[in-house]
Amino acid sequence: MNQMFMEIWERPSARRSLFFILVYLSLLSIDFSSLYEGTNFALGATTQIELTRGLMAAAIVFNFILITRLPKRIQLYVTWAELLILFLYFFYSFDLSYEYIWARLPHLLGFGLKNGFLMGAALTLFMCVVSIAASTVLALVAALARLSNNGIALGISTFYISFFRGTPLILQILLIYIGLPQIGIILNPIPAAIIALSLCYGAYMAEIFRAGIQAIPAGQGEAARALGLKDVQIMRLVILPQAIRLIIPPTGNQFIAMLKDSALVATLGAWELMYMARLHGRAEFKNMEMMITAALIYWMMSMSMEYFQAKVERKFGKGIDVSSV
Amino acid sequence: MKLFKYTLLAGAMVIGATSAFAGEALDRVMSKGTLVISTDAEYPPQSSINADNELVGFDVDVGRAVAKQMGVEAEFVTPGWDVITSGHWAGRWDMSVGSMTPTKARAEVLDFPAVYYFTPAALVVHEKNTSIHKTSDASGKKVGVGVSTTYESYLNKKLVIDADNVPEFSFVVDDADIRTYDSDVLALDDLRLGDGVRLDAAFTALPTILEAQKNGYPIKVVGPEALFMEPLAIATAKGDAELNAKIKDAVTALRADGTLSKISEKWYGGDLTQ
Repeated sequence: MNQMFMEIWERPSARRSLFFILVYLSLLSIDFSSLYEGTNFALGATTQIELTRGLMAAAIVFNFILITRLPKRIQLYVTWAELLILFLYFFYSFDLSYEYIWARLPHLLGFGLKNGFLMGAALTLFMCVVSIAASTVLALVAALARLSNNGIALGISTFYISFFRGTPLILQILLIYIGLPQIGIILNPIPAAIIALSLCYGAYMAEIFRAGIQAIPAGQGEAARALGLKDVQIMRLVILPQAIRLIIPPTGNQFIAMLKDSALVATLGAWELMYMARLHGRAEFKNMEMMITAALIYWMMSMSMEYFQAKVERKFGKGIDVSSV
Repeated sequence: MKLFKYTLLAGAMVIGATSAFAGEALDRVMSKGTLVISTDAEYPPQSSINADNELVGFDVDVGRAVAKQMGVEAEFVTPGWDVITSGHWAGRWDMSVGSMTPTKARAEVLDFPAVYYFTPAALVVHEKNTSIHKTSDASGKKVGVGVSTTYESYLNKKLVIDADNVPEFSFVVDDADIRTYDSDVLALDDLRLGDGVRLDAAFTALPTILEAQKNGYPIKVVGPEALFMEPLAIATAKGDAELNAKIKDAVTALRADGTLSKISEKWYGGDLTQ
């Protein structure tokens, strides 16, 4: 049975037929009848619709085969272009009010000020940049404490990591904003948000930093000590420069996650991107318009973060052939 | 962890100056010359944002009028509903003009110095609905409401309104399949998808429904229109009787001189303030 299946699988035509059947079956979930509303059918409604479905499935399979013939680099671009067109068509099919989007876009992007401070995407970006800096410092300190021989440092850092990884960010935000005033510390929404984001992501990143530091073989530290370097020097000159290369990709991941998690701050009434999208969406019952606009702005911002991450990776990866690792 | 401590300390030093104690709220308002008002800007026509990114609406105008009556400037903040209703405002804002119904449960964390208008609570269905002709037909059906709203309490038959002169009401919907949403408008969004697609009906304030209809939502109100008349009040943090008295006087004066009616006409096309 298995043998027979493998033999059939070897034949490209069999594979393509199977692919065609799968595509056809998944197209069954789409209702094509609306395409033909009000037209007369020469072949009868059902035949016409099934024929369309079949042709579409054939077109998808044919498109797939064509792309596989291209060089890899071109395959990449063509696939991106096709997915992007599909994606835009999906949005286009919602019948959105582009005038509304255009009129409210500057507010979402954050052109202008709210009570003398940033708003919209500009505020989101500001909160993230500050939180990225603070959480990196926090993570490094917590990771070093976690690896130290001092019991108290170990206790504090494990407690911190455990609590802030173990509770939802939205609760941390509310605890800092509503809870701290009980002991007399009254923070505004934006500082409260930055503190919550920094603490939460610092805890996640502490574990990434620890993993990166521990991945450097112990022999390196021993060799450095034999050369007479002090502990601080070993960490700064030998371990960290090598660990950073390992730390960057997962840390970039965290920063992108943070960018989007900053939307949780909307509940405090900070006028960041998500909140602006909600307000302007509700104002004239154009939620879909504003949500899609905000989604695209978030996507653009995270793509530029990906770009910076790639640059930083290249900088710290000097001398190491990344493509073969 | 040290950094954490210093950040908090620094934050406390910058903002701690506004720390509030009971009885001082009015002094703070008067000495600063600003009344900080919280409003929930996700509910047109009560409160929303216009194309110039400014807050507008009935609640916003009432807030401005109250501040003017008290002889101070109005400043608006927009914390989330959860944050407002959890109390402990810590002097961040002085009063909430957010179309809030004074219930017994809420009165435990907030004060309600003055009712400023009334809205009918109404049941709404999709245009194509044929099974719900009167409100009691919604029994056992999928009904969408905003979470922790009076509408949810009503469907749970737990609603007790804590204000004077509230018309009597009875619970006419039995065992509704209650679906809660972050806001009432989201329930209307689900209802517009089609009759019975996600919801059979939604239950919210009549002005919200009318505003949605105006914006092309294919929905219709089921009679009788008012399941209950909801008094909507200004809320303050617990404990400052002087501020409460001042707000109460301001609202009474605004009602007497017709300002409230005028604002209501402007936003609702009718007087809901008497």
